[in-house]
Amino acid sequence: MALDPLDHSVPPIFRRGLSAMTRTVLLGFLSVLLMAADHRLQISQPIRSGVALVLSPLQWLSLQPGRAVGFLGQYLGNLEQAQDAAQTYQTRTIAQAQRLQQVEQLLQENAQLRQMLDLREHVAGPTKAVEVLYDTADPYTQRILVNKGQLSGIVQGSAVIDVAGVVGQVTRVYPLVSEVTLLTDRGQSIPVMNARTGSRHVAQGDPAGGGGALELRFVPSSMDMQQGDLLTTSGIDGVYPAGLHVARISRIDRRVDTAFARVHAQPMAQERGRHLLVLMPVKDWPKWPAPPAEPPRGKGKATAASKPAASAATTPGATP
Amino acid sequence: MIMPAGRPLLLPANPRFIALSLLLALLLHMLLGLSGQHWLPDVLAVVVVFWNVHQPRRVGLVIAFLCGLALDVHESALLGQNALSYVLLSSMAIAVQRRLLWFPLREQALQILPLFVVASLVEWVTRLVVQDAWPHWSQLLAPLLQAALWPGLGALLLAPQRRAFAPDDIRPL
Repeated sequence: MALDPLDHSVPPIFRRGLSAMTRTVLLGFLSVLLMAADHRLQISQPIRSGVALVLSPLQWLSLQPGRAVGFLGQYLGNLEQAQDAAQTYQTRTIAQAQRLQQVEQLLQENAQLRQMLDLREHVAGPTKAVEVLYDTADPYTQRILVNKGQLSGIVQGSAVIDVAGVVGQVTRVYPLVSEVTLLTDRGQSIPVMNARTGSRHVAQGDPAGGGGALELRFVPSSMDMQQGDLLTTSGIDGVYPAGLHVARISRIDRRVDTAFARVHAQPMAQERGRHLLVLMPVKDWPKWPAPPAEPPRGKGKATAASKPAASAATTPGATP
Repeated sequence: MIMPAGRPLLLPANPRFIALSLLLALLLHMLLGLSGQHWLPDVLAVVVVFWNVHQPRRVGLVIAFLCGLALDVHESALLGQNALSYVLLSSMAIAVQRRLLWFPLREQALQILPLFVVASLVEWVTRLVVQDAWPHWSQLLAPLLQAALWPGLGALLLAPQRRAFAPDDIRPL
């Protein structure tokens, strides 16, 4: 093949293709169409999944340097730190053990009462442990990617929690990974209940707001609300199980010119947790009575008092 | 093609090298994205524009569109947001391509800067329209850094096309 610089070769005169202007207009129109499909109609998930599958080797590769550095840092980290961590966890375990015993007793009591009342029993749903891969680079949203997807049985809409409280919700599921929108994202809201008074509200993400990353919407000024009140999930939405810790109220602004108070809250979940737990949406949980063959997940002991086999623990504080 | 005087003749570009450079730029972009700094330059945009200017018949608007789409999925942004800005960016690059090649790389950087500014403006406007979020101020730095990267990155990407200097008695040229 002759060494002719490419630009010297003139294209065949009848095969010029579309002009650059036409192509720009066409592709620009296609982009706008895709945006509309994604924003308004939410029908672009198949395209997304396809591209994500193609990109996944690259994404995996891009995570390796950070992982190597992390591993090295962990390896060289001093012993003291590890001992400290162990100490902390031990203290926490002891503190929890005492509470757990009380809860066990309450659970048994609750189960008996429920049976007597012939109520539907709350069952702890199926859970999946996941690991955080990375924060998305988009500076306007608060989203993370976790390392399990459709193939591992993650369902869109599932709640995501860590040791301290609710982290967010699964908003997109790809074959191998899934995307979790944090509670603090602008477009994310969660139904909550004030654990002290029992009043129900909706908390919305407010990343730029002062005094806390969540805001309670439409709280009347006269409502009983105090700084430091614990907000838990109310369980009326069919997605989040009731009683999970969500946030603590950090600031209340009562103003004269409006009938509503501005209530800010600080999420309980740890900022930089690495391991998370995905809970299936409550409405997809196996219906009572659950098939007896399925052993309870996670919780080791079976409660002796409740006769049926589906003896997984109920979430404490479910009924006000 | 008429060339400016005194410019060495370049070898034809290797399509595999073009593809590899685009892939590496995407990888680098992903790596930089992990750091969470908004002001870091968009390396992929620089590489795409570079090939648009130097090899417009190999790397055109469609490849720019696909790169933008890949970024959208990776960043979990609105699908088509980066794609739109990349398509406009590369169409502007193709429009100024003939004139740009007459200048040395350093002066090209000055002329390419408005393109990057317009591309980030397009992205901001899309975000404002769709998500109602005000952009971060530190992002103003990104187009400047991208233009500053142009000479270095350009020299690097053109390096494989430069002919090795081998004086020869038979062919003194």
